[in-house]
Amino acid sequence: MNVLKVPARTIAIFVLPCLILYIGTVFIPILVSFYTAMLDWNGISDAKFVGLANFKTLLFDDPNFWMSVKRTIMYAVFSIIEIPICLLFAILLNRYIRKGNRLVTIYFVPVILSNVILGQLWKTIYNPASMGGMLNGVLIKLGLDSWTHSWLTEPAIAMYAIYFVSLWQYFGYHLLIQFTGVQNIPDEIYEAAKIDGADGFKADRYITFPMVVPIFKISVVLAFIGSLQAFELVMVMTGGGPAHATDTIATHMYNMSFLSQKYGYGSAVATFLVIFCLVITVVINGVFNKIERKVT
Amino acid sequence: MKMPSKTVALLLAGALAFGLAGCGNSDSSSSGSGASGDSGDKTKITFQNIYPDPTTPTYKMIHQIVDQYEKEHPNIDIELDTLNTDQQKLKLKTQAASKEIPDITIVNPAAQMKPYIDAGLLAPLNDVVDKGGLKDTYQEGLLDYYSKDGNVYALPDGNNIEVGFYNKALFAKAGIAAPPTTFDELLADVKKLKDAGITPIAIGEKDSWTGSFLFMNILLRTNGGPGFLQDVADGKKTFNDPAFVEAVDAFQKLVQAGAFPEGATSIDATAGGNMFRTGQAAMFFIGTWETGANDGSTIGKDVSVFKFPTVNGKGNPDEFMLAPGSAFAVSANSEHLKETKDFLNYFALNLPKVSFELKNAVGLGQKVDGDFKAAGYSPLAIDVLDLFKNVKGGDLSFDNTMNPAVSQVHLSSIQSLFVQQVDPKQIAQEHQAAFEANP
Repeated sequence: MNVLKVPARTIAIFVLPCLILYIGTVFIPILVSFYTAMLDWNGISDAKFVGLANFKTLLFDDPNFWMSVKRTIMYAVFSIIEIPICLLFAILLNRYIRKGNRLVTIYFVPVILSNVILGQLWKTIYNPASMGGMLNGVLIKLGLDSWTHSWLTEPAIAMYAIYFVSLWQYFGYHLLIQFTGVQNIPDEIYEAAKIDGADGFKADRYITFPMVVPIFKISVVLAFIGSLQAFELVMVMTGGGPAHATDTIATHMYNMSFLSQKYGYGSAVATFLVIFCLVITVVINGVFNKIERKVT
Repeated sequence: MKMPSKTVALLLAGALAFGLAGCGNSDSSSSGSGASGDSGDKTKITFQNIYPDPTTPTYKMIHQIVDQYEKEHPNIDIELDTLNTDQQKLKLKTQAASKEIPDITIVNPAAQMKPYIDAGLLAPLNDVVDKGGLKDTYQEGLLDYYSKDGNVYALPDGNNIEVGFYNKALFAKAGIAAPPTTFDELLADVKKLKDAGITPIAIGEKDSWTGSFLFMNILLRTNGGPGFLQDVADGKKTFNDPAFVEAVDAFQKLVQAGAFPEGATSIDATAGGNMFRTGQAAMFFIGTWETGANDGSTIGKDVSVFKFPTVNGKGNPDEFMLAPGSAFAVSANSEHLKETKDFLNYFALNLPKVSFELKNAVGLGQKVDGDFKAAGYSPLAIDVLDLFKNVKGGDLSFDNTMNPAVSQVHLSSIQSLFVQQVDPKQIAQEHQAAFEANP
């Protein structure tokens, strides 16, 4: 690493605008929400300071909250399971398809579409057959009548229906990231390996995997944090219903702050989410540092 | 060699995608109450409203009156801050949190506007209603829903009741002669309609107030009259009361009979209404504010109305779920309080006349002079107006009576009835627990 001799003042001038923006729009609001989490406040009248009472209710006396945490974690787990599959596809595309990046572009299309449009689209696909739902229509045509469901309104399966849409949407996104990672590995390395007798899977095991670990990590972190914030899709498709069966942490926060008008309590949920995100990011970084050291 | 710029572009695209995922609700400061001294000597009044759709009569009404007023008062500039209902609710809450609400805004009656009054954000409007005989134009007792401690805080844009709209053609197709007058008849009609392959009752239960609004009719009957929620609030009854349990049970029967469309909890309110208006569903229990929309639809000539039936022989069909409309309130901190009040007085005095001309005077909160039939109002509108004449009181919706936290528990509790069978006593207990936890 070469270090340039730049005066500290110059560095400060270049960093400052961004830093101020970041502190003003991210850091301070987070601190403020830590504070409002300790208020009993409906957002309109005067607030009452209640200390950690909101957190106590949240952690020990709110079954909907823990259910929403569970769903959010499942969301993240599914998103992360998707990434190795994306990597596999990326390797195959890179190896066997000429101009694979065109295919990748096509896979990427759902990411460009707005969540609201996707939500509405899938809502219609999931509709009961009596309302022209495509999925159920296809199942019936195939003679699988017993497989039909009212996908978004049966509490036991509604959440899985939403996970699926999210996985479908972000497949192209992670595929693109992994594909770029795989492409960036210089061909010379593979050629050298070939001479040494490492080809196909063996080359993947000893060259591709170790070299895409940093890119893989980016995908995992993005997938995890993206899932923790899952909001629009749920809001558009079910609104957290039926009867909280599809609430995530973010929709629970919205319900509490804006519908039940318990801003303080909603802020407590938000605070939990922030801390949760931080902890998970640190954990993921730690795990990957270990992996990186092991494989390289 | 591979281009690193690709990676950069990729990361930028990623940043963009995730940047969109934030759910902040920062307001663009379009409605600051600051006086804009530089635009001549004009006084600027910000009028937040919920009439965004240019095809509706309400939109035409507000623009017509505002234009008229600005013409007569060249020194006043009225700036419309137009939003749809949900956006406006959210924006006002955000503005209220920083005590900066627009000169005129929209609030909802009773329990929903109470926090704003308690926070001292709304100006008393007693002088406004006393001026020009405005008070006497309002229906008897209507302003009570917008008053506290003898002060009026808002002026309603309407006063509706909940009725059953039904499609006569579909009823005939299913072999039903007349709309139901008892709950058992309603259940029987549901079965007949279902057998004829028609969805019996349209609903958009993704917006959970729709199911609650229907449920409250049943409660109004099983309780033998209005006032159940008020009694609970006053500590005279609990949600474990037999009347409430019976209502949940009856509602459950309706669901189990297949009265509602499949997947009702993922249909939003607009789509629910459209099921009725496109002839897919035979009945639609909703406020009379939907009269115009039903009238103007393709099935308009087949639509008529009926009162909610008695339940297990209880209740009086002339008692209705009442829906006093959203209302105009004035900011207590307005910099032009006097001008704002003068304008609001003018606005409210002209509202009935202009609405009548725009054929939108059904369900107004004010008395209207004029012959509806001669003015060309439809038979459906006349039917609805006839129902209004017989109203013998009733209840307000759940979220207008109880605080938001209890209301939310109620709404999701009723929503759960659409997807699973629950012991009515358990539903009652859920309500009671929420009520005790959120006094």
